[in-house]
Amino acid sequence: MKLVCLIAMVIGCLTSLRAQAPNAAPSVWQQPAAALAAQVADLLGPGQTHLTIHNLSTIPIDQIPSIRRLLVQELKARGVLTSGTESANVVRVTLSENARERLWVAEVVEGDETRVAMIRLEAGRTQQPQSTSGLTLLKQTVLTTSGQVLAALETPNGLVLVEPEEIVIFVQTPDGWHEQKRVGIGQTRALSRDLRAVIYLSPDSAGFSAFTAGSTCTGSYRSAQAETWTIHCHESDDPWTIVQPPVLQTVSAGQSTETQMNVSVTPFKAFYNAARNYFTGVVNFGPGVDLPPFYSAAQIVRSAASAPLLIGGIDGKVQLLNDGALKGVSGTRDWGSDFAALRTACGSGAQVVASGSGEASNDSLRGYELPAQEAIPASAPLAMDGAVTALASSPDGKSLIAIVHTAANQYEVDRVTASCN
Amino acid sequence: MLRQVAISCLIAVLALPAAARTRPHYGGTLHVEVDGDPMPQHGGIARRLIFDGLTRLGSDGTPVPALAIRWTSENSDHRWQFWLRPGVHFHNDSALTSSAAELSLNRSCGAFCPWTAVHAVGSSVVFTSDAPMPNLPALLAGDDFLIGLDSGSSSFVGTGPFEAAGDTSKVDAQRLVANENCWRGRPFVDSIEIHGHKSIRDQWLDLSVGRADIVEVPAEQLRLAQQQHLNVIASQPVTLLALAAADSSVLANANLRAAIALAVDRSALSNVIFQKQGEITASMLPAALTGYSFLFPADRDLTKAHELRGGLNASALTLAADNSATMQLAAQRLALNLHEAGFNVQVANAATAQHKDLALLELTLGSSQPQSALESMLRSVGVATPVVENTPAGLYKTEHEFLQTHTLIPLLYLPRAYAISGRVRDLRLSSDGSPLLADVSLQDAQ
Repeated sequence: MKLVCLIAMVIGCLTSLRAQAPNAAPSVWQQPAAALAAQVADLLGPGQTHLTIHNLSTIPIDQIPSIRRLLVQELKARGVLTSGTESANVVRVTLSENARERLWVAEVVEGDETRVAMIRLEAGRTQQPQSTSGLTLLKQTVLTTSGQVLAALETPNGLVLVEPEEIVIFVQTPDGWHEQKRVGIGQTRALSRDLRAVIYLSPDSAGFSAFTAGSTCTGSYRSAQAETWTIHCHESDDPWTIVQPPVLQTVSAGQSTETQMNVSVTPFKAFYNAARNYFTGVVNFGPGVDLPPFYSAAQIVRSAASAPLLIGGIDGKVQLLNDGALKGVSGTRDWGSDFAALRTACGSGAQVVASGSGEASNDSLRGYELPAQEAIPASAPLAMDGAVTALASSPDGKSLIAIVHTAANQYEVDRVTASCN
Repeated sequence: MLRQVAISCLIAVLALPAAARTRPHYGGTLHVEVDGDPMPQHGGIARRLIFDGLTRLGSDGTPVPALAIRWTSENSDHRWQFWLRPGVHFHNDSALTSSAAELSLNRSCGAFCPWTAVHAVGSSVVFTSDAPMPNLPALLAGDDFLIGLDSGSSSFVGTGPFEAAGDTSKVDAQRLVANENCWRGRPFVDSIEIHGHKSIRDQWLDLSVGRADIVEVPAEQLRLAQQQHLNVIASQPVTLLALAAADSSVLANANLRAAIALAVDRSALSNVIFQKQGEITASMLPAALTGYSFLFPADRDLTKAHELRGGLNASALTLAADNSATMQLAAQRLALNLHEAGFNVQVANAATAQHKDLALLELTLGSSQPQSALESMLRSVGVATPVVENTPAGLYKTEHEFLQTHTLIPLLYLPRAYAISGRVRDLRLSSDGSPLLADVSLQDAQ
């Protein structure tokens, strides 16, 4: 039985390797080659022609012979034979592209007359290399959209996006994320130009609470009903939840279970200045000291007895609130104004990931340890594809959701995790 | 001992919590300088700050809601209805109504208006036309159709992020203050001071001494700006430099116009006048938008130009160009090209020329969607035909048919660029290359 399993695994691995091998790439061009050949054959009719190919696109040069071979085959199948330069007819194929898609153009030259055929195909995507160091941050793009995204939350029942005027639910299908529902927040007038929002998983892990400037929305999921999500929004100046009690994983007798750590029973809430882009410093939890206006806050859960609150003030100073005292944190010169806590199995197990303070066009994320009043880099910077506009911990604290405004004016929802080296 | 103390102090200073942030701060005054007219009525840089359109172009170049929150089309795009955003007010606190929008649109609609009639219906505005208007939402995002109140020639009342302050009759300077109740949210800076009619040299000087925050960098000076280590932000190529040929009088003969198209030397123009910063083109839309621009040959063919001109003897042609040094130089260069093909061309100032056989134009690519961009560009040269095709093959056909008339000869695509001071944050350029000043914040604002 074990032998059968082993053989099956080896076959599976080999199949997988074969699928990823470079020589599998030409199959991608089969369909477009057939489509272009069909258009050329319609213009030219059966006969002989001389075929030239010119590459103006980002298709690697080593794939051109394969594309040529496919075009020759497809033309032949439609009665058009390619020959040498002696042919009176010429088919000039140009592999081109624009900012959105690839474009294959065939110029069919017969004497003085030139006719044109074109087909378009999706542009290919390239993978971004990751940097490595002691703790390595890894980025996975969950979704890319042209609409502005203020905050996002992955729930067991779908991906919830907070947009300036709507809550949008996406569900995972074999083809990727599909929009399932869109509900208006009821806000038609932006109060601030730097719009922000936060979204948290509800205590039953099936719904969410979202806070935007001037409104609050709640969503609940009912699997028994056809209409799966119910979302309600209303005007509200209530304080926003800024930190929820983290859900920690404990291991007992070989089984892993999710438990809430008894650090703070009630979530930390703070009043948000809806006409600007920061929290006023007025909070619900009696910090024991006046807090300054701040952009971001994160709870660093070092142990059940120690879970100070990290605050990023609008003056750029990062401070730690511990036992009713605010103390400055050094080593945050490179921090931007967005950060979030991350739980890992590396180092102290409680890191902070902060956006960079450089140019917005080439923002980055970096992990830090905060053993005391100093932020010590724990990872290499992870380059992002644009400006990080929001950063939040996932419900279990083991990953982050980053919203990135890309140079192409798109919004990316990225899941950021960490691995130990 | 003293040295040890000094080192200790230095270490202590370095260890202090450092200020760092990326989120924009509110406050401060932004100083902008431009070569042209900053005034809103002349399409200046202030126009987009004071007025909004029913739509605006989103990040992907498609029209998104602005003063209109939604729209529908009927009757094969012959009728469009746009519903206005509730709760929007003009700078003088009067409410944005459909009647005010109708008045504004009727006022701004000129000879090449995309619609036949516009009416206020309840809280909506209805456009009707004898011809289909497939690109109307995108066209309404353009500068020509911004919504404003008619309150006298020297006063500008819109709904935009800034409102005019002070003496609006001053042509060289415009002061704008933040609209606290802007429907898109209050802008970050408190005010913007725009100084117009400043030479590029003076702009750069003011930038270097901290008197200006954002100044212009003409395409031909991009290299110089980089050599001087200016902090430059440049757009994709968005300005089409093109030669317009009148299809009347001397140039009524299409062969003469075709000969002119073959005689122009785009490479020399790009290399010599525009310091290789332009993208040579013989198509109206840039390659990045269509992928088919290589189908329009851009090479000079003087022999064929001579053949086409044949024995036809054109009398002296007038080539009109804007009075700026660069445009006049470019026109002189083109005149030289045409002289080599047997044409007698005299360069004139566009503002004063009595008669224009040829005109050197700068056309702005308004949209990053090829269909609406092509229609918008055709309208700007007086062709009011709607572009219905939206496939690459269909767009190529439309563009090819128009360019075959040789009434417009595309030459170069040029970027728009600005140099910014160290205190300017988050400056982005719109799809037409203009700076989005309402989203700018200042580093030193508190």
